[in-house]
Amino acid sequence: MFGPFRITNSLSGGLLWKIPWRLSPTQKFRQRKRLRAVDQVIATVTNALAKKGETLKSLERWKSEMPTEAEMLPRDKYTMFDRKAKRYRKGIHKLPKWTRVSQRINPPGF
Amino acid sequence: MSYFRITLHRSAIGLPKRTRAVLAALGLHRRGKVVFHPVEAQFGGMIMKVKELVTVEEVDRPLTKRELQDSRRPEKGFWVETAARAGFKGEEEGEVRL
Repeated sequence: MFGPFRITNSLSGGLLWKIPWRLSPTQKFRQRKRLRAVDQVIATVTNALAKKGETLKSLERWKSEMPTEAEMLPRDKYTMFDRKAKRYRKGIHKLPKWTRVSQRINPPGF
Repeated sequence: MSYFRITLHRSAIGLPKRTRAVLAALGLHRRGKVVFHPVEAQFGGMIMKVKELVTVEEVDRPLTKRELQDSRRPEKGFWVETAARAGFKGEEEGEVRL
């Protein structure tokens, strides 16, 4: 039962990665921080260009489609739509490169 | 004329070629690198492509390489936080242990 040759899932079965099904409170905190950082970049670019009376198509599209961190529901901050998952939601940390891509909205109807 | 001060905050390892190409076009080759570009629509669009990876500020003028280095350099010399005598609180009562 104890000692170096005890039978555990990872020893007997080889590769076993355990990815928790939900984020920890600190992961959630950092996720919110990253969302706010992107909002900050958007705001800075908007203000800087607005002083010159200019705007961007991509900027307008982002602002019309994407909610800011404060406007988002916790559900959308920490989980995302998945058509194969039970009840159609999975943790956002299952998304490849999830700390460096923007994933804020759901498909229509979800 | 104002400028964008763009700092590469997150690495682009494993991200698409197009994203890395945008960073290269901005002149951001490693994390922590700071570049200045004028506030123009084309640079705004490039920032939008890499908005998750960079931090952006609007500044009045670009800093030279020398000024950037100086801003990172710690102050010379030292300062005394607590005088040595004040540190020995128990001295008056004769409780100083060695």
